[in-house]
Amino acid sequence: MKSLPRFDSKFIVIALSVIVLLYFIVFPMLVLIYDSLFINGQLDISNYRDVYGKDVNWRALTNTIYLSLGVMVASVIITFPLAWLVGRTDLPGKKTFRTILVASYMIPPYVGAIAWVQLLNPSVGYLNDVFKWMFHLTQAPFDIYTMWGLGWVLTLFYSPFAFITISRAMEKMDPTLEEAARVSGAGPLKTLWDVTLPLMAPSILAGGLLVFIAAGSCFGIPAIVGMPGNIEVLTTRIVTFVYMGDDKGIRDATALAVSLMILANFLLFFMTWMLGRKDYTTISGKSTRPNIVELGKWKWAALLFVGGYAFISVILPLGSIIMTSFLVSMSKGIELSNFGFDAWVPVITSTQYLESIWLSVEYAVIAACIGTLLSIFVAYLSVKTNITGRSLPDLLVVLGGSTPSIVIALALIITFSGNYGLNIYSTMWILVVSYLVKYMTMSVRTIAASLSQVHISLEEAALNSGASWIRCCKDIIMPLIAPSIIAGWFLIFMPSFYELTMSNLLYGADTKTIGVLLYELQTYADTQNASVLSVIILIIVLVGNLILNKLTGGKVSI
Amino acid sequence: MSQVKISHVFKRFGDVTAVNDFNIDIADGEFISFLGPSGCGKTTTLRMVAGFEKATEGEIVIGDTVVSSSEKGIFVPPEKRGVGMVFQSYAVWPHMNVIDNVGYPLKIQKVPKEERLARVMEMLELVHLKEYAERLPSQLSGGQQQRVALARALVARPSLLLLDEPLSNLDAKLRESMRFEISQIQKKLGITVIYVTHDQSEAMTMSDRIVCMSMGNVQQIGKPYEIYSHPANKMVADFVGLINFLDAETKGDRVFIKGTDYSFANPGEKTGNVVLAVRPENITMSMNGGHMKGIVTDKFYLGDAIDYRVQVGESTVRVIDKGADLDAVPAGREVYLDFDRVMVFDKD
Repeated sequence: MKSLPRFDSKFIVIALSVIVLLYFIVFPMLVLIYDSLFINGQLDISNYRDVYGKDVNWRALTNTIYLSLGVMVASVIITFPLAWLVGRTDLPGKKTFRTILVASYMIPPYVGAIAWVQLLNPSVGYLNDVFKWMFHLTQAPFDIYTMWGLGWVLTLFYSPFAFITISRAMEKMDPTLEEAARVSGAGPLKTLWDVTLPLMAPSILAGGLLVFIAAGSCFGIPAIVGMPGNIEVLTTRIVTFVYMGDDKGIRDATALAVSLMILANFLLFFMTWMLGRKDYTTISGKSTRPNIVELGKWKWAALLFVGGYAFISVILPLGSIIMTSFLVSMSKGIELSNFGFDAWVPVITSTQYLESIWLSVEYAVIAACIGTLLSIFVAYLSVKTNITGRSLPDLLVVLGGSTPSIVIALALIITFSGNYGLNIYSTMWILVVSYLVKYMTMSVRTIAASLSQVHISLEEAALNSGASWIRCCKDIIMPLIAPSIIAGWFLIFMPSFYELTMSNLLYGADTKTIGVLLYELQTYADTQNASVLSVIILIIVLVGNLILNKLTGGKVSI
Repeated sequence: MSQVKISHVFKRFGDVTAVNDFNIDIADGEFISFLGPSGCGKTTTLRMVAGFEKATEGEIVIGDTVVSSSEKGIFVPPEKRGVGMVFQSYAVWPHMNVIDNVGYPLKIQKVPKEERLARVMEMLELVHLKEYAERLPSQLSGGQQQRVALARALVARPSLLLLDEPLSNLDAKLRESMRFEISQIQKKLGITVIYVTHDQSEAMTMSDRIVCMSMGNVQQIGKPYEIYSHPANKMVADFVGLINFLDAETKGDRVFIKGTDYSFANPGEKTGNVVLAVRPENITMSMNGGHMKGIVTDKFYLGDAIDYRVQVGESTVRVIDKGADLDAVPAGREVYLDFDRVMVFDKD
């Protein structure tokens, strides 16, 4: 009889992994905070005083907070009824709508921004033209380059966070809680108000806070939609300071980055605490099918609302991007003779473009391979062992994932450009490290979830049958968690592939990724090439998601 | 006049018939159990009475009101049916304290606050929860949450109470004491009860009548005694209590156990290849002679009895002996058996 191995080498491995994670995740953040607070070794808050003494930075902070709050509220107000209609009513085609609403999550935010600039810019926006023609207006009715425009795009592209959180909570809620209200005499609406809403409140708030953090940490959308209208937010200010290139610029950037980091991590901490409160846990019995509310005469109004939202949030922007990529000339109107592959030919034959696509794939593959390996290890440690400190690596990974991308990028710049030993600045490795810090958390979650399904008795049964521990891993554990490992790989690969925020600060002359290239094209107003590149990104992401969906039976997707 | 009348009710989910032609008249103040294995359609029927499922066909009348009729196109939603219901998962709202949970139906009816509180306290007294009035459900045990659910279902004084496996999440001891409590409350209030369960002893102890269901069909409706002693078919006999089934054949007016010369007067009209059934407690085992010979193949000590397996012809008979001399018969020994109250059923 063999027992599970209790090698002490485990401690060495844990220590090693903790050191690696501390060095690449925690250390840079500490350096960032230190740099923002100390000048030449002396505690000095003049960085903060300087930064917030200037109107433009102060306005960037207030803009960030206003925008994030507005986007959060709007997202919750829109997605709660959407989640309810799709999950709990007899709305026709609700499965398709669910897929569309969740799918908008996988469109890179800056692609959405490019699309909405095409649709609603005041000079040649497609939608503006349509409205002008329909209502005989002389002036464009909408201007995307405003706070409202920025809020609009942020809401459309970050509300899926709220939608996913809220619909999951709705699915998990015991439907008999609502039935008990019905049988007590409350109608469907009264039940929604008295039971469903209060019980969902923590999840609604959690979804809202996720949106708040994501909107506040976003760089791509404010850079493309806000900057042309001189609207600055924290992330764009940080990038501007870094672009200055001098010490002062970096120091100012650190002060802003620390502000953003504290805002985001404090909110996440609050959210975790909120969801962890015990008062709302319920005992649930056999799962009855949720009571489906019949919409009756409201069916068509509901269909119009959900269909309209799906059209505006997904189909319209994607349509705009795809259409623009096939226009022969931007200056000519939308007519059949103006469609062709003219914009595609130079892009797919250009070595510069292909090089960027290739580099992005390469870095994403490297990050995904290293990240998956680390994730398996971190997940195994926290789920399958009972050593003290087993969940510390997990916690460090979560910390990395919850930190705004721009903060990670800045921290990596100041830490790994030679001041503290390692110098990987301008190399591909700083990009790979940044992807790992930001995206490993999803992969660890997925693998840990499936690992916790493999009961220890399955391993013991294998050992009892005479298999060695290694053999047991190969024959029992790996086959059972293989789909989640592949899912974990894609969960790192895809966001790394189209990453913009961090790559934009960390790329060097030879490491320009597709996100950065696209951002440059857009800022140089080369809309058509930007559209072609966007379509290429979308195709790659779509294919990745289809594979992921196939492998996990639809349980995990980006 | 009946309190609940279910006539020719069908429920189909796509091609699957979950409930097939359900009929019953339930009298005022009657305690009715729907008994059957999971998936037999008992909960679906209850949910159709409550209004959470719509009957595909048929009519349901509560009191004088037609609440569901496919023919007349009537469907009264659950909140307008005026029934009380207790769910398996208790469904006590975790964000309200005990008073608010129990008082909710009265709040909906806009009963003034003082009267509401008085009636809530009255109910809490009935279910022995008075001292827990201010607590949140998370501070209550499973059994206490169940009482809150019961009080909430009764507070609006419905004339019909529906209970959906209310005791199945409780531990065995609590389950038994709750049975008596529910029975007592029902008698005190004179309320009509429909009680869904898969536990035959629950149904036996509490019900005036039991509806035995299987695969969507009503197999038998009767008093507990009738269901136990005169099961309508093999399925009911098997589901309620322990029973031996032996392959048998009829010859004239006698039934012969297959492969033997042992026979019994045929108690019914079934003929040909049949199944002879006898409950273990109706078998007498003796060493000194009797109707049939058998060989003890196995025995299991139960504490208050011994559970024997006895080979008779090709069949094995289970005998539960509560005799005084518990260790008397070793395995391999030849014994004599006498059957009392035999039943004859069709083969499947």
